[in-house]
Amino acid sequence: MAPPEVHHLFHKPIADHSFSADRQTLAVAKDTSVELYGRVGNAFKLKDELKGHDKTVTSVDIAPASGRIVTCSQDRNALVWEPSPTGYKPTLVLLRIARAATFVRWSPSETKFAVGSGDRVIAICYFEEENDWWVSKHLKKPIRSTITTVNWHPNSVLLAAGSTDAHARVFSSFIKGVDARPEPSVWGERLPFNTVCGEYLNNSAGWVHSVAFSPSGNALAFAAHDSSITVVYPSGPDQPPQAVVSVSTQLLPFMSMVWNGEDEIIAAGYDCEAFRFQGGASGWQLTGTLEAKGRPGLGDAREESALNMFKQMDLKGKVKDDTQLKTVHQNTITTLRVYEGRNGSVSKFSTSGVDGRVVVWNT
Amino acid sequence: MSIIQQHTSSSLSDAWRTINIDALDPDSSQNFDTSTLHPPLPEASEADVRALNGQVRQLLRGGDSEGALRGCLENPVYNASEVAKDAHLQTVIEVLQSIKASEMTPMLQRVYDSEGGSELVDVLMKYLYKGMAGGSASSGGPRTPTRNLTPQATGFSQIGNRLGSTNESTGAGMSVLLSWHEKVVDVAGLGSIQRCMTDWRKEGTAVNSWSSIGSTPKYQRKQSTMGNNRD
Repeated sequence: MAPPEVHHLFHKPIADHSFSADRQTLAVAKDTSVELYGRVGNAFKLKDELKGHDKTVTSVDIAPASGRIVTCSQDRNALVWEPSPTGYKPTLVLLRIARAATFVRWSPSETKFAVGSGDRVIAICYFEEENDWWVSKHLKKPIRSTITTVNWHPNSVLLAAGSTDAHARVFSSFIKGVDARPEPSVWGERLPFNTVCGEYLNNSAGWVHSVAFSPSGNALAFAAHDSSITVVYPSGPDQPPQAVVSVSTQLLPFMSMVWNGEDEIIAAGYDCEAFRFQGGASGWQLTGTLEAKGRPGLGDAREESALNMFKQMDLKGKVKDDTQLKTVHQNTITTLRVYEGRNGSVSKFSTSGVDGRVVVWNT
Repeated sequence: MSIIQQHTSSSLSDAWRTINIDALDPDSSQNFDTSTLHPPLPEASEADVRALNGQVRQLLRGGDSEGALRGCLENPVYNASEVAKDAHLQTVIEVLQSIKASEMTPMLQRVYDSEGGSELVDVLMKYLYKGMAGGSASSGGPRTPTRNLTPQATGFSQIGNRLGSTNESTGAGMSVLLSWHEKVVDVAGLGSIQRCMTDWRKEGTAVNSWSSIGSTPKYQRKQSTMGNNRD
């Protein structure tokens, strides 16, 4: 297995990251701005900065086909950045929320995006031609707390959302004139806007950090703050799911996850490394870490210096610095995304975290 | 009229920042019962708890301490009167105290590896924390549930008396809980502490959702993947 590609961008937390479709551009949410890095050889160099928010940017997403970037922030706004020959042009989106926007993702069709917020709503945003403006419709009921994460179904109509009220929910975000009528699926046949297709809670009911539809869209996984992941296999509309499999791990909670095919999930979080889960409707299990143990982290070699050594001797009376974790990431991983994959199977994925690193891994 | 003159003393001060806007919003979490978010927990009567504790003690006297441990962890008392809950806690502590230190880890391992065992170990963790909280309360805190629980009044164990009576025995009870805590973390990892902190089934408003039907598969334990030197 080839070693992971580590990019230590800066010494600040990365709230979210996103690669463009050609993987030559990397957008990273840092403080109140979004930094765009371009690939130069094996490294990423800062090439542009998107300044438009005046509070912490919480999420960023690049649409693979159109190249548009959507960002959202604690300043309660979302901006769509349109690529143009003279740089990116921001357009404000009418979110109509009174609390921070926490999470944003483009739908696979790229005609809509969903913004989770602390205002107990999800704003489904779409472009209105006659007004030349991005407007939004709210998914409200029965959300009772902050939305921490959203994930789109491949049909661009169904949306999964995780919330701090410990529920993972599946909604319909069908918007007339924007979406084509979706094929009937296990989640339902008629799907008017704000249909609740599923509402799930696990045993100990921790905050939900991450939700993810399987590549086919017929299963939903969610990771909660009780160090568990739960996979739901629905059987049809208005029926109890055919299987709900919960894996309580011995680890710290997972913040983000992706499916690799229908029988594997890769999740990462407070343990600073990625783990692999395998299974199906009959049961899931944790099968191990994706980190190669015993290999010195690529990032720490760079930080080792004579100055550091004497500093250690002076401050701690020892030369060896044992404050470094044995993992590549040196702090919580907050985002895990597919970097390279085909037909739902992932060959490479990227992680970013509180330590300011973006790492590309092979599965 | 200039715009400045429209300011009143109240709009110039910062007092408006302290207005609790959540109270004015009918949809806010202040204005609905958060316990409705969870399915309700079944209620356990005092007599049920007493019967269960009697059975557990029977097993304990018969020398089947693992059976006793399983017995009291399989039926956690979430929704019951304070007296019943405390009585159950005392039974759990009594069982824990009766198990020899050398027996602890193998027994936990067996429980953990059995079907649905990780759930039992998580319940044990919750009782350990509850025991530690109660222990400190009985040594002079404002809330003294263990002291109110006299053996004569309830007919339950002497242990409440023992825990609350002197500081030395409180310390002894605490050391039992602490050594169990260590062993539980060895077996079930930091995840069990995490679940203990997030779990809403503590002070008893509700119960197991249907998702508990989903199996909790045993998975390969990898000691190497946990406990890096961060903690």
